[in-house]
Amino acid sequence: MLTFVARRLLTAAITILVVVFLAGVLIHLVPGDPITAMLAQSGNASAVDIARLTEQYGLDKPVWQQALLYVGNVLQGDLGTTIRGNEPVAPLLLGRLPNTIILAVAGLGTALALGIPMGVIAAVNRGRAADFAVMLIAILGVSIPGFWMGLTFIQFFSLHLGWFPVAGTSARNIVLPALTLGIVHSALVARMTRSALVDILNEDYIRTARAKGLRESEVLMVHAMRPAMISIITVVGLVFAHLLGGQVITENVFSWNGIGRLAIQAMLQRDYPLVQGFIVIFATSIVLVTTALDLLYGLLDPRVRRR
Amino acid sequence: MSDTNVLPRRLPLPAALRRWNITVGALILTVVVAAALLAPWIAPYDPFRMASGPRLSPPTAAHWFGTDELGRDLFSRVLLGARASLGIGLAAVAAGLAFGVSFGLAIAFSPARLKGFFLRIVDVIYSFPDTLLALALVAFLGPGAENATLAIAISLIPFYARVTYGLAAVERAKPYVEAAEIAGNGVPRIMRVQVLPNILQSLIVIGSIGFSSAILSAAGLSFLGLGVQPPSPEWGSILASGRNYIARAPWILIFPGVAICLTVLSFNLIGDGIRDLTDPKNRHRRA
Repeated sequence: MLTFVARRLLTAAITILVVVFLAGVLIHLVPGDPITAMLAQSGNASAVDIARLTEQYGLDKPVWQQALLYVGNVLQGDLGTTIRGNEPVAPLLLGRLPNTIILAVAGLGTALALGIPMGVIAAVNRGRAADFAVMLIAILGVSIPGFWMGLTFIQFFSLHLGWFPVAGTSARNIVLPALTLGIVHSALVARMTRSALVDILNEDYIRTARAKGLRESEVLMVHAMRPAMISIITVVGLVFAHLLGGQVITENVFSWNGIGRLAIQAMLQRDYPLVQGFIVIFATSIVLVTTALDLLYGLLDPRVRRR
Repeated sequence: MSDTNVLPRRLPLPAALRRWNITVGALILTVVVAAALLAPWIAPYDPFRMASGPRLSPPTAAHWFGTDELGRDLFSRVLLGARASLGIGLAAVAAGLAFGVSFGLAIAFSPARLKGFFLRIVDVIYSFPDTLLALALVAFLGPGAENATLAIAISLIPFYARVTYGLAAVERAKPYVEAAEIAGNGVPRIMRVQVLPNILQSLIVIGSIGFSSAILSAAGLSFLGLGVQPPSPEWGSILASGRNYIARAPWILIFPGVAICLTVLSFNLIGDGIRDLTDPKNRHRRA
Protein backbone atom coordinates (compact mmCIF):
# COMPACT_ATOMS: atom_id res chain seq x y z
CA MET A 1 0.00 0.00 0.00
CA LEU A 2 2.83 2.39 0.89
CA THR A 3 4.62 1.88 -2.41
CA PHE A 4 1.31 2.42 -4.18
CA VAL A 5 0.78 5.74 -2.40
CA ALA A 6 4.39 6.80 -2.95
CA ARG A 7 4.23 5.95 -6.64
CA ARG A 8 0.98 7.83 -7.18
CA LEU A 9 2.31 10.90 -5.33
CA LEU A 10 5.52 10.85 -7.35
CA THR A 11 3.59 10.61 -10.61
CA ALA A 12 1.41 13.52 -9.51
CA ALA A 13 4.45 15.65 -8.63
CA ILE A 14 6.09 14.93 -12.00
CA THR A 15 2.86 15.66 -13.85
CA ILE A 16 2.53 19.02 -12.12
CA LEU A 17 6.16 19.88 -12.94
CA VAL A 18 5.64 18.98 -16.60
CA VAL A 19 2.52 21.15 -16.77
CA VAL A 20 4.26 24.10 -15.13
CA PHE A 21 7.12 23.69 -17.61
CA LEU A 22 4.65 23.66 -20.51
CA ALA A 23 2.92 26.76 -19.09
CA GLY A 24 6.34 28.42 -19.14
CA VAL A 25 6.91 27.40 -22.76
CA LEU A 26 3.46 28.65 -23.86
CA ILE A 27 4.62 32.26 -23.90
CA HIS A 28 6.66 31.44 -27.01
CA LEU A 29 3.44 30.77 -28.90
CA VAL A 30 2.72 34.50 -28.86
CA PRO A 31 3.19 35.77 -32.41
CA GLY A 32 6.06 38.25 -32.55
CA ASP A 33 7.66 39.51 -29.35
CA PRO A 34 5.59 38.68 -26.25
CA ILE A 35 6.86 41.69 -24.30
CA THR A 36 5.88 44.14 -27.06
CA ALA A 37 2.48 42.44 -27.32
CA MET A 38 1.97 42.72 -23.56
CA LEU A 39 3.08 46.32 -23.35
CA ALA A 40 0.95 47.31 -26.33
CA GLN A 41 -1.99 47.14 -23.94
CA SER A 42 -0.53 49.56 -21.45
CA GLY A 43 0.61 52.15 -24.00
CA ASN A 44 3.76 54.13 -23.25
CA ALA A 45 6.64 51.69 -22.76
CA SER A 46 10.25 52.70 -23.06
CA ALA A 47 13.09 50.59 -24.42
CA VAL A 48 14.32 50.27 -20.82
CA ASP A 49 10.99 48.74 -19.76
CA ILE A 50 11.16 46.26 -22.61
CA ALA A 51 14.72 45.25 -21.75
CA ARG A 52 13.84 44.93 -18.04
CA LEU A 53 10.79 42.73 -18.73
CA THR A 54 12.63 40.63 -21.32
CA GLU A 55 15.24 39.86 -18.70
CA GLN A 56 12.68 39.34 -15.95
CA TYR A 57 10.82 36.70 -17.99
CA GLY A 58 14.10 35.19 -19.22
CA LEU A 59 13.04 35.72 -22.83
CA ASP A 60 16.65 36.54 -23.77
CA LYS A 61 17.53 32.94 -22.84
CA PRO A 62 16.84 29.72 -24.78
CA VAL A 63 13.30 28.32 -24.47
CA TRP A 64 14.16 25.52 -22.07
CA GLN A 65 16.16 27.80 -19.77
CA GLN A 66 13.36 30.33 -19.71
CA ALA A 67 10.79 27.62 -18.94
CA LEU A 68 13.00 26.16 -16.19
CA LEU A 69 13.30 29.66 -14.73
CA TYR A 70 9.51 29.78 -14.68
CA VAL A 71 9.32 26.36 -12.98
CA GLY A 72 11.87 27.53 -10.39
CA ASN A 73 9.85 30.66 -9.64
CA VAL A 74 6.59 28.73 -9.36
CA LEU A 75 8.19 26.26 -6.94
CA GLN A 76 9.05 29.23 -4.75
CA GLY A 77 5.44 30.37 -4.91
CA ASP A 78 6.16 33.19 -7.35
CA LEU A 79 3.80 33.25 -10.33
CA GLY A 80 5.11 36.60 -11.59
CA THR A 81 3.32 39.95 -11.72
CA THR A 82 0.43 41.09 -13.86
CA ILE A 83 1.09 43.37 -16.82
CA ARG A 84 -1.79 45.64 -15.94
CA GLY A 85 -1.40 46.95 -12.42
CA ASN A 86 1.88 45.15 -11.76
CA GLU A 87 0.28 43.07 -9.00
CA PRO A 88 1.66 39.71 -7.90
CA VAL A 89 -0.28 36.96 -9.70
CA ALA A 90 -0.35 34.29 -6.97
CA PRO A 91 -2.36 36.20 -4.31
CA LEU A 92 -4.69 37.55 -6.99
CA LEU A 93 -5.58 34.05 -8.18
CA LEU A 94 -5.61 32.47 -4.72
CA GLY A 95 -8.01 35.17 -3.55
CA ARG A 96 -10.49 34.02 -6.19
CA LEU A 97 -9.87 30.33 -5.53
CA PRO A 98 -12.54 29.91 -2.78
CA ASN A 99 -15.29 31.19 -5.11
CA THR A 100 -14.14 28.79 -7.82
CA ILE A 101 -13.99 25.84 -5.42
CA ILE A 102 -17.46 26.59 -4.02
CA LEU A 103 -18.99 26.64 -7.49
CA ALA A 104 -17.07 23.54 -8.63
CA VAL A 105 -18.17 21.55 -5.57
CA ALA A 106 -21.78 22.73 -5.94
CA GLY A 107 -21.71 21.81 -9.64
CA LEU A 108 -20.13 18.42 -8.99
CA GLY A 109 -22.62 17.70 -6.20
CA THR A 110 -25.52 18.57 -8.50
CA ALA A 111 -24.07 16.41 -11.27
CA LEU A 112 -23.79 13.40 -8.93
CA ALA A 113 -27.19 13.99 -7.31
CA LEU A 114 -28.85 14.03 -10.74
CA GLY A 115 -26.61 11.60 -12.61
CA ILE A 116 -26.37 8.63 -10.22
CA PRO A 117 -30.17 8.12 -9.81
CA MET A 118 -30.59 8.56 -13.56
CA GLY A 119 -27.96 5.89 -14.23
CA VAL A 120 -29.51 3.52 -11.69
CA ILE A 121 -32.99 3.92 -13.19
CA ALA A 122 -31.58 3.25 -16.67
CA ALA A 123 -29.59 0.18 -15.59
CA VAL A 124 -32.45 -1.41 -13.63
CA ASN A 125 -34.83 -0.88 -16.55
CA ARG A 126 -32.30 -1.85 -19.17
CA GLY A 127 -33.81 -2.04 -22.65
CA ARG A 128 -37.13 -0.58 -21.52
CA ALA A 129 -38.70 2.85 -22.01
CA ALA A 130 -37.16 4.35 -18.85
CA ASP A 131 -33.68 3.33 -20.01
CA PHE A 132 -34.30 4.86 -23.41
CA ALA A 133 -35.61 8.09 -21.85
CA VAL A 134 -32.63 8.47 -19.52
CA MET A 135 -30.14 7.79 -22.28
CA LEU A 136 -31.92 10.28 -24.51
CA ILE A 137 -31.71 12.94 -21.78
CA ALA A 138 -28.04 12.05 -21.29
CA ILE A 139 -27.16 12.46 -24.96
CA LEU A 140 -29.07 15.75 -25.08
CA GLY A 141 -27.14 16.81 -21.98
CA VAL A 142 -23.74 16.31 -23.58
CA SER A 143 -24.92 18.14 -26.71
CA ILE A 144 -26.01 21.37 -25.04
CA PRO A 145 -23.26 23.98 -24.64
CA GLY A 146 -23.05 24.99 -20.98
CA PHE A 147 -22.89 28.70 -21.73
CA TRP A 148 -26.09 28.52 -23.76
CA MET A 149 -27.91 26.64 -21.04
CA GLY A 150 -26.67 29.29 -18.60
CA LEU A 151 -27.97 32.14 -20.77
CA THR A 152 -31.31 30.34 -21.15
CA PHE A 153 -31.56 29.97 -17.36
CA ILE A 154 -30.82 33.68 -16.92
CA GLN A 155 -33.43 34.57 -19.50
CA PHE A 156 -36.11 32.38 -17.92
CA PHE A 157 -35.44 32.26 -14.18
CA SER A 158 -33.82 35.67 -13.64
CA LEU A 159 -35.29 37.98 -16.25
CA HIS A 160 -38.66 36.36 -16.91
CA LEU A 161 -39.60 34.96 -13.49
CA GLY A 162 -37.32 37.18 -11.42
CA TRP A 163 -36.40 34.34 -9.04
CA PHE A 164 -32.66 34.88 -9.03
CA PRO A 165 -30.35 37.87 -9.54
CA VAL A 166 -28.84 38.05 -13.02
CA ALA A 167 -25.22 38.23 -11.94
CA GLY A 168 -22.93 38.36 -8.96
CA THR A 169 -21.26 36.16 -6.37
CA SER A 170 -23.45 35.26 -3.41
CA ALA A 171 -25.30 32.32 -1.85
CA ARG A 172 -28.47 33.14 -3.83
CA ASN A 173 -26.51 33.50 -7.02
CA ILE A 174 -24.92 30.08 -6.94
CA VAL A 175 -28.14 28.20 -7.78
CA LEU A 176 -28.20 28.85 -11.53
CA PRO A 177 -24.47 28.36 -12.32
CA ALA A 178 -24.35 25.22 -10.15
CA LEU A 179 -27.46 23.89 -11.88
CA THR A 180 -25.96 24.67 -15.30
CA LEU A 181 -22.71 22.84 -14.54
CA GLY A 182 -24.56 20.05 -12.77
CA ILE A 183 -27.06 19.32 -15.55
CA VAL A 184 -24.43 19.36 -18.29
CA HIS A 185 -22.14 16.99 -16.42
CA SER A 186 -24.85 14.75 -14.95
CA ALA A 187 -25.14 13.21 -18.43
CA LEU A 188 -21.61 11.82 -18.14
CA VAL A 189 -22.27 10.54 -14.60
CA ALA A 190 -25.52 8.88 -15.69
CA ARG A 191 -23.86 7.06 -18.58
CA MET A 192 -20.98 5.82 -16.44
CA THR A 193 -23.27 4.74 -13.59
CA ARG A 194 -25.48 2.86 -16.03
CA SER A 195 -22.64 0.99 -17.70
CA ALA A 196 -21.00 0.09 -14.36
CA LEU A 197 -24.29 -1.15 -12.92
CA VAL A 198 -25.32 -3.06 -16.06
CA ASP A 199 -22.09 -5.06 -15.85
CA ILE A 200 -22.52 -5.73 -12.14
CA LEU A 201 -26.15 -6.81 -12.45
CA ASN A 202 -24.98 -9.59 -14.80
CA GLU A 203 -22.57 -10.97 -12.18
CA ASP A 204 -23.12 -14.37 -10.59
CA TYR A 205 -23.25 -13.02 -7.04
CA ILE A 206 -26.25 -10.88 -7.94
CA ARG A 207 -28.05 -14.00 -9.13
CA THR A 208 -27.06 -15.67 -5.87
CA ALA A 209 -28.43 -12.73 -3.88
CA ARG A 210 -31.70 -12.92 -5.78
CA ALA A 211 -31.82 -16.70 -5.43
CA LYS A 212 -31.55 -16.53 -1.67
CA GLY A 213 -34.72 -14.46 -1.69
CA LEU A 214 -33.51 -10.92 -1.06
CA ARG A 215 -35.84 -8.15 -2.09
CA GLU A 216 -34.86 -6.45 -5.34
CA SER A 217 -34.20 -3.18 -3.48
CA GLU A 218 -31.79 -4.96 -1.16
CA VAL A 219 -30.01 -6.64 -4.05
CA LEU A 220 -29.63 -3.26 -5.68
CA MET A 221 -28.63 -1.14 -2.70
CA VAL A 222 -26.43 -3.62 -0.83
CA HIS A 223 -24.96 -5.94 -3.43
CA ALA A 224 -24.89 -3.91 -6.62
CA MET A 225 -24.45 -0.28 -5.58
CA ARG A 226 -21.39 -0.84 -3.39
CA PRO A 227 -19.12 -2.18 -6.11
CA ALA A 228 -20.68 0.30 -8.54
CA MET A 229 -19.66 3.18 -6.28
CA ILE A 230 -16.02 2.23 -6.85
CA SER A 231 -16.41 2.73 -10.60
CA ILE A 232 -18.35 5.93 -10.00
CA ILE A 233 -15.52 7.36 -7.87
CA THR A 234 -13.08 7.04 -10.77
CA VAL A 235 -15.57 8.86 -12.95
CA VAL A 236 -15.78 11.71 -10.44
CA GLY A 237 -12.18 12.68 -11.28
CA LEU A 238 -12.95 12.77 -14.98
CA VAL A 239 -16.15 14.74 -14.41
CA PHE A 240 -14.32 17.18 -12.15
CA ALA A 241 -11.70 17.87 -14.83
CA HIS A 242 -14.37 18.44 -17.46
CA LEU A 243 -16.36 20.52 -15.04
CA LEU A 244 -13.42 22.86 -14.44
CA GLY A 245 -13.20 23.34 -18.21
CA GLY A 246 -16.88 24.24 -18.38
CA GLN A 247 -16.61 26.34 -15.26
CA VAL A 248 -14.40 28.94 -16.95
CA ILE A 249 -17.22 29.74 -19.38
CA THR A 250 -19.99 29.40 -16.78
CA GLU A 251 -18.28 31.87 -14.44
CA ASN A 252 -18.24 34.36 -17.31
CA VAL A 253 -21.89 33.83 -18.20
CA PHE A 254 -23.01 34.42 -14.59
CA SER A 255 -20.32 37.01 -13.71
CA TRP A 256 -19.22 34.70 -10.88
CA ASN A 257 -16.08 36.14 -9.34
CA GLY A 258 -13.86 33.10 -9.67
CA ILE A 259 -10.56 32.32 -11.31
CA GLY A 260 -12.21 31.48 -14.63
CA ARG A 261 -13.69 34.95 -15.00
CA LEU A 262 -10.35 36.55 -14.12
CA ALA A 263 -8.60 34.26 -16.62
CA ILE A 264 -10.82 35.28 -19.53
CA GLN A 265 -10.31 38.96 -18.70
CA ALA A 266 -6.57 38.29 -18.63
CA MET A 267 -6.75 36.49 -21.98
CA LEU A 268 -8.62 39.35 -23.64
CA GLN A 269 -6.10 41.84 -22.20
CA ARG A 270 -3.09 39.68 -23.11
CA ASP A 271 -1.95 39.57 -19.52
CA TYR A 272 0.21 36.48 -20.07
CA PRO A 273 1.65 35.98 -16.56
CA LEU A 274 -1.91 35.92 -15.20
CA VAL A 275 -2.98 33.38 -17.85
CA GLN A 276 0.04 31.20 -17.04
CA GLY A 277 -0.86 31.39 -13.35
CA PHE A 278 -4.42 30.33 -14.18
CA ILE A 279 -3.14 27.31 -16.13
CA VAL A 280 -0.80 26.32 -13.28
CA ILE A 281 -3.54 26.55 -10.64
CA PHE A 282 -6.23 24.79 -12.67
CA ALA A 283 -3.86 22.03 -13.79
CA THR A 284 -2.61 21.51 -10.25
CA SER A 285 -6.18 21.25 -8.95
CA ILE A 286 -7.06 18.66 -11.57
CA VAL A 287 -3.94 16.60 -10.79
CA LEU A 288 -4.51 16.80 -7.02
CA VAL A 289 -8.16 15.75 -7.24
CA THR A 290 -7.43 12.92 -9.69
CA THR A 291 -4.60 11.66 -7.48
CA ALA A 292 -6.70 11.84 -4.32
CA LEU A 293 -9.46 9.84 -6.01
CA ASP A 294 -6.92 7.31 -7.31
CA LEU A 295 -5.65 6.81 -3.77
CA LEU A 296 -9.21 6.43 -2.50
CA TYR A 297 -9.86 3.94 -5.27
CA GLY A 298 -6.80 1.95 -4.23
CA LEU A 299 -8.02 2.02 -0.65
CA LEU A 300 -11.44 0.66 -1.61
CA ASP A 301 -10.30 -1.86 -4.19
CA PRO A 302 -7.16 -3.83 -3.27
CA ARG A 303 -6.76 -5.12 -6.84
CA VAL A 304 -5.78 -1.64 -8.04
CA ARG A 305 -2.81 -1.39 -5.69
CA ARG A 306 -1.06 -4.40 -7.17
CA ARG A 307 -0.88 -3.00 -10.68
CA MET B 1 -15.15 12.00 -26.04
CA SER B 2 -14.45 10.74 -22.58
CA ASP B 3 -13.45 7.18 -23.25
CA THR B 4 -10.63 6.07 -25.49
CA ASN B 5 -11.49 2.40 -25.43
CA VAL B 6 -13.89 2.58 -28.33
CA LEU B 7 -12.42 0.22 -30.85
CA PRO B 8 -14.97 -0.28 -33.57
CA ARG B 9 -14.08 -2.78 -36.26
CA ARG B 10 -16.26 -3.37 -39.29
CA LEU B 11 -19.09 -1.11 -40.21
CA PRO B 12 -21.84 -2.47 -42.48
CA LEU B 13 -23.83 0.47 -43.84
CA PRO B 14 -27.31 -1.11 -44.17
CA ALA B 15 -27.14 -2.32 -40.57
CA ALA B 16 -25.98 1.14 -39.54
CA LEU B 17 -29.00 2.82 -41.06
CA ARG B 18 -31.33 0.45 -39.23
CA ARG B 19 -30.23 1.99 -35.93
CA TRP B 20 -32.48 4.90 -35.06
CA ASN B 21 -29.71 7.07 -33.62
CA ILE B 22 -27.53 6.86 -36.70
CA THR B 23 -30.51 7.59 -38.96
CA VAL B 24 -31.71 10.58 -36.91
CA GLY B 25 -28.16 11.90 -36.54
CA ALA B 26 -27.48 11.57 -40.25
CA LEU B 27 -30.76 13.32 -41.10
CA ILE B 28 -30.00 16.30 -38.84
CA LEU B 29 -26.43 16.48 -40.10
CA THR B 30 -27.59 16.44 -43.74
CA VAL B 31 -29.85 19.44 -43.08
CA VAL B 32 -27.05 21.34 -41.29
CA VAL B 33 -24.49 20.57 -43.99
CA ALA B 34 -26.96 21.55 -46.72
CA ALA B 35 -27.66 24.81 -44.87
CA ALA B 36 -23.95 25.52 -44.63
CA LEU B 37 -23.26 24.74 -48.29
CA LEU B 38 -26.28 26.56 -49.69
CA ALA B 39 -26.26 29.48 -47.21
CA PRO B 40 -25.35 32.23 -49.72
CA TRP B 41 -28.17 31.17 -52.05
CA ILE B 42 -30.95 30.46 -49.58
CA ALA B 43 -30.27 33.28 -47.12
CA PRO B 44 -33.09 35.80 -47.69
CA TYR B 45 -30.95 38.80 -46.65
CA ASP B 46 -27.31 39.85 -46.56
CA PRO B 47 -26.25 38.59 -43.12
CA PHE B 48 -23.98 41.64 -42.64
CA ARG B 49 -26.47 44.30 -43.74
CA MET B 50 -27.76 46.35 -40.85
CA ALA B 51 -31.38 47.44 -40.77
CA SER B 52 -32.55 44.64 -43.06
CA GLY B 53 -35.63 45.00 -40.91
CA PRO B 54 -36.63 46.75 -37.70
CA ARG B 55 -34.28 46.25 -34.73
CA LEU B 56 -34.99 43.33 -32.40
CA SER B 57 -38.02 42.29 -34.39
CA PRO B 58 -39.59 39.00 -33.23
CA PRO B 59 -39.88 36.19 -35.78
CA THR B 60 -42.22 37.23 -38.60
CA ALA B 61 -43.01 36.07 -42.12
CA ALA B 62 -40.31 38.41 -43.44
CA HIS B 63 -37.73 37.49 -40.79
CA TRP B 64 -38.22 33.84 -39.81
CA PHE B 65 -35.84 33.96 -36.84
CA GLY B 66 -36.42 37.67 -36.09
CA THR B 67 -33.72 40.34 -36.25
CA ASP B 68 -30.83 41.22 -33.95
CA GLU B 69 -29.85 44.42 -32.14
CA LEU B 70 -28.62 45.99 -35.39
CA GLY B 71 -31.62 44.93 -37.45
CA ARG B 72 -29.69 42.14 -39.18
CA ASP B 73 -31.72 39.13 -40.32
CA LEU B 74 -31.08 36.36 -37.79
CA PHE B 75 -32.09 33.51 -40.12
CA SER B 76 -29.45 34.57 -42.64
CA ARG B 77 -26.86 34.94 -39.90
CA VAL B 78 -27.59 31.53 -38.40
CA LEU B 79 -27.39 29.96 -41.87
CA LEU B 80 -24.02 31.53 -42.56
CA GLY B 81 -22.95 30.69 -39.02
CA ALA B 82 -23.29 27.00 -39.95
CA ARG B 83 -20.43 27.54 -42.40
CA ALA B 84 -18.18 28.98 -39.73
CA SER B 85 -18.97 26.32 -37.12
CA LEU B 86 -18.74 23.34 -39.48
CA GLY B 87 -15.70 24.85 -41.20
CA ILE B 88 -13.79 25.26 -37.96
CA GLY B 89 -14.90 21.80 -36.85
CA LEU B 90 -13.83 20.18 -40.10
CA ALA B 91 -10.47 21.94 -40.27
CA ALA B 92 -9.68 21.26 -36.62
CA VAL B 93 -10.69 17.60 -36.81
CA ALA B 94 -8.73 17.07 -40.04
CA ALA B 95 -5.58 18.68 -38.67
CA GLY B 96 -5.95 17.09 -35.23
CA LEU B 97 -6.57 13.68 -36.79
CA ALA B 98 -3.58 13.97 -39.15
CA PHE B 99 -1.16 14.87 -36.37
CA GLY B 100 -2.77 12.65 -33.75
CA VAL B 101 -2.68 9.60 -36.02
CA SER B 102 0.95 10.28 -36.96
CA PHE B 103 1.97 10.61 -33.31
CA GLY B 104 -0.05 7.56 -32.31
CA LEU B 105 1.56 5.43 -35.03
CA ALA B 106 5.02 6.76 -34.20
CA ILE B 107 4.54 5.93 -30.51
CA ALA B 108 3.28 2.43 -31.30
CA PHE B 109 6.37 1.74 -33.42
CA SER B 110 8.92 3.46 -31.18
CA PRO B 111 11.40 1.48 -29.04
CA ALA B 112 9.99 0.19 -25.75
CA ARG B 113 11.83 2.69 -23.57
CA LEU B 114 10.75 5.77 -25.51
CA LYS B 115 7.22 4.41 -25.79
CA GLY B 116 6.59 4.68 -22.06
CA PHE B 117 7.94 8.21 -21.98
CA PHE B 118 5.85 9.41 -24.95
CA LEU B 119 2.72 7.72 -23.66
CA ARG B 120 3.16 9.41 -20.29
CA ILE B 121 3.35 12.84 -21.95
CA VAL B 122 0.27 12.17 -24.07
CA ASP B 123 -1.58 10.94 -20.97
CA VAL B 124 -0.61 14.03 -18.97
CA ILE B 125 -1.97 16.35 -21.66
CA TYR B 126 -4.98 14.11 -22.24
CA SER B 127 -5.96 14.34 -18.57
CA PHE B 128 -6.90 17.98 -19.13
CA PRO B 129 -10.26 18.73 -20.72
CA ASP B 130 -9.93 19.79 -24.34
CA THR B 131 -11.89 23.02 -23.83
CA LEU B 132 -9.36 24.10 -21.22
CA LEU B 133 -6.48 23.14 -23.51
CA ALA B 134 -7.94 25.08 -26.44
CA LEU B 135 -8.60 28.06 -24.16
CA ALA B 136 -5.02 28.07 -22.86
CA LEU B 137 -3.57 27.85 -26.37
CA VAL B 138 -5.75 30.56 -27.87
CA ALA B 139 -4.83 32.85 -24.98
CA PHE B 140 -1.27 32.90 -26.26
CA LEU B 141 -1.90 32.57 -29.99
CA GLY B 142 -4.32 35.50 -29.82
CA PRO B 143 -8.07 35.69 -30.59
CA GLY B 144 -9.41 35.00 -34.09
CA ALA B 145 -11.00 32.26 -36.20
CA GLU B 146 -7.71 30.82 -37.52
CA ASN B 147 -6.05 30.74 -34.12
CA ALA B 148 -9.14 29.20 -32.52
CA THR B 149 -9.12 26.49 -35.21
CA LEU B 150 -5.44 25.84 -34.58
CA ALA B 151 -5.96 25.71 -30.81
CA ILE B 152 -8.90 23.30 -31.12
CA ALA B 153 -6.91 21.13 -33.54
CA ILE B 154 -4.00 20.92 -31.10
CA SER B 155 -6.39 20.20 -28.22
CA LEU B 156 -7.71 17.16 -30.15
CA ILE B 157 -4.25 15.69 -30.86
CA PRO B 158 -3.77 13.88 -27.51
CA PHE B 159 -7.15 12.13 -27.86
CA TYR B 160 -6.48 11.02 -31.42
CA ALA B 161 -2.90 10.01 -30.61
CA ARG B 162 -4.07 7.92 -27.65
CA VAL B 163 -6.74 6.11 -29.65
CA THR B 164 -4.46 5.54 -32.63
CA TYR B 165 -1.77 4.17 -30.36
CA GLY B 166 -4.25 1.68 -28.91
CA LEU B 167 -5.36 0.52 -32.34
CA ALA B 168 -1.87 0.43 -33.85
CA ALA B 169 -0.35 -1.43 -30.90
CA VAL B 170 -2.87 -4.24 -31.45
CA GLU B 171 -2.07 -4.38 -35.17
CA ARG B 172 1.65 -4.29 -34.58
CA ALA B 173 1.52 -7.53 -32.64
CA LYS B 174 -0.19 -9.34 -35.53
CA PRO B 175 1.71 -11.75 -37.79
CA TYR B 176 1.20 -9.73 -40.97
CA VAL B 177 3.26 -6.87 -39.57
CA GLU B 178 5.98 -9.28 -38.60
CA ALA B 179 5.85 -10.76 -42.10
CA ALA B 180 6.21 -7.29 -43.60
CA GLU B 181 9.20 -6.64 -41.35
CA ILE B 182 10.85 -9.91 -42.39
CA ALA B 183 10.15 -9.05 -46.05
CA GLY B 184 12.43 -6.07 -45.46
CA ASN B 185 9.92 -3.21 -45.39
CA GLY B 186 10.95 -0.09 -43.47
CA VAL B 187 8.93 1.06 -40.47
CA PRO B 188 7.42 4.13 -42.17
CA ARG B 189 6.25 1.96 -45.06
CA ILE B 190 4.73 -0.61 -42.72
CA MET B 191 2.89 2.15 -40.87
CA ARG B 192 1.52 3.65 -44.06
CA VAL B 193 0.86 0.62 -46.25
CA GLN B 194 0.13 -2.15 -43.73
CA VAL B 195 -1.20 -0.69 -40.48
CA LEU B 196 -2.97 2.52 -41.49
CA PRO B 197 -5.45 0.91 -43.93
CA ASN B 198 -6.35 -1.62 -41.25
CA ILE B 199 -7.25 0.97 -38.64
CA LEU B 200 -8.65 3.57 -41.03
CA GLN B 201 -12.26 2.61 -40.57
CA SER B 202 -12.00 2.89 -36.80
CA LEU B 203 -10.31 6.25 -37.16
CA ILE B 204 -13.19 7.63 -39.22
CA VAL B 205 -15.55 6.77 -36.39
CA ILE B 206 -13.23 8.37 -33.85
CA GLY B 207 -13.20 11.45 -36.08
CA SER B 208 -16.95 11.89 -35.60
CA ILE B 209 -16.46 11.89 -31.82
CA GLY B 210 -13.90 14.70 -32.04
CA PHE B 211 -16.29 16.72 -34.21
CA SER B 212 -18.89 17.31 -31.53
CA SER B 213 -16.29 18.50 -29.05
CA ALA B 214 -14.60 20.70 -31.69
CA ILE B 215 -17.89 22.45 -32.50
CA LEU B 216 -18.67 22.97 -28.82
CA SER B 217 -15.19 24.40 -28.23
CA ALA B 218 -15.48 26.68 -31.27
CA ALA B 219 -18.82 28.06 -30.09
CA GLY B 220 -17.49 28.50 -26.55
CA LEU B 221 -14.34 30.33 -27.69
CA SER B 222 -16.31 32.61 -30.00
CA PHE B 223 -18.80 33.32 -27.23
CA LEU B 224 -15.94 34.42 -24.97
CA GLY B 225 -14.63 36.72 -27.72
CA LEU B 226 -11.58 34.54 -28.40
CA GLY B 227 -12.77 32.82 -31.58
CA VAL B 228 -14.62 34.17 -34.61
CA GLN B 229 -14.73 37.94 -34.29
CA PRO B 230 -17.84 40.06 -34.89
CA PRO B 231 -19.41 41.02 -37.24
CA SER B 232 -18.69 37.59 -38.81
CA PRO B 233 -21.59 35.31 -37.94
CA GLU B 234 -20.76 32.20 -35.95
CA TRP B 235 -23.23 30.62 -33.55
CA GLY B 236 -21.15 31.40 -30.48
CA SER B 237 -20.38 34.96 -31.56
CA ILE B 238 -24.05 35.66 -32.43
CA LEU B 239 -24.92 34.62 -28.87
CA ALA B 240 -22.13 36.79 -27.47
CA SER B 241 -23.25 39.94 -29.25
CA GLY B 242 -26.91 39.27 -28.51
CA ARG B 243 -26.51 38.36 -24.83
CA ASN B 244 -27.38 41.85 -23.59
CA TYR B 245 -30.69 41.78 -25.43
CA ILE B 246 -32.01 38.40 -24.35
CA ALA B 247 -34.60 39.95 -22.02
CA ARG B 248 -36.30 41.83 -24.87
CA ALA B 249 -35.42 39.49 -27.70
CA PRO B 250 -35.17 35.85 -26.55
CA TRP B 251 -35.12 34.70 -30.18
CA ILE B 252 -31.51 35.90 -30.46
CA LEU B 253 -30.78 33.38 -27.74
CA ILE B 254 -32.95 30.53 -28.98
CA PHE B 255 -32.09 30.03 -32.66
CA PRO B 256 -28.25 30.01 -32.65
CA GLY B 257 -28.30 27.89 -29.48
CA VAL B 258 -30.66 25.32 -30.96
CA ALA B 259 -28.43 25.23 -34.06
CA ILE B 260 -25.39 24.35 -31.93
CA CYS B 261 -27.33 21.74 -29.94
CA LEU B 262 -28.73 20.01 -33.03
CA THR B 263 -25.37 19.90 -34.78
CA VAL B 264 -23.52 18.53 -31.76
CA LEU B 265 -26.41 16.14 -31.09
CA SER B 266 -26.20 14.76 -34.64
CA PHE B 267 -22.51 13.90 -34.23
CA ASN B 268 -23.12 12.40 -30.79
CA LEU B 269 -26.02 10.28 -32.09
CA ILE B 270 -23.96 8.98 -34.99
CA GLY B 271 -20.96 8.29 -32.76
CA ASP B 272 -23.14 6.49 -30.20
CA GLY B 273 -24.92 4.45 -32.83
CA ILE B 274 -21.68 3.30 -34.39
CA ARG B 275 -20.30 2.44 -30.99
CA ASP B 276 -23.39 0.32 -30.16
CA LEU B 277 -23.07 -1.37 -33.50
CA THR B 278 -19.43 -2.27 -33.12
CA ASP B 279 -19.27 -2.97 -29.39
CA PRO B 280 -18.87 -6.76 -29.02
CA LYS B 281 -20.79 -6.60 -25.72
CA ASN B 282 -23.93 -5.61 -27.62
CA ARG B 283 -23.60 -8.22 -30.31
CA HIS B 284 -26.01 -10.70 -28.79
CA ARG B 285 -28.71 -8.04 -28.57
CA ARG B 286 -28.54 -7.14 -32.21
CA ALA B 287 -29.68 -10.43 -33.76
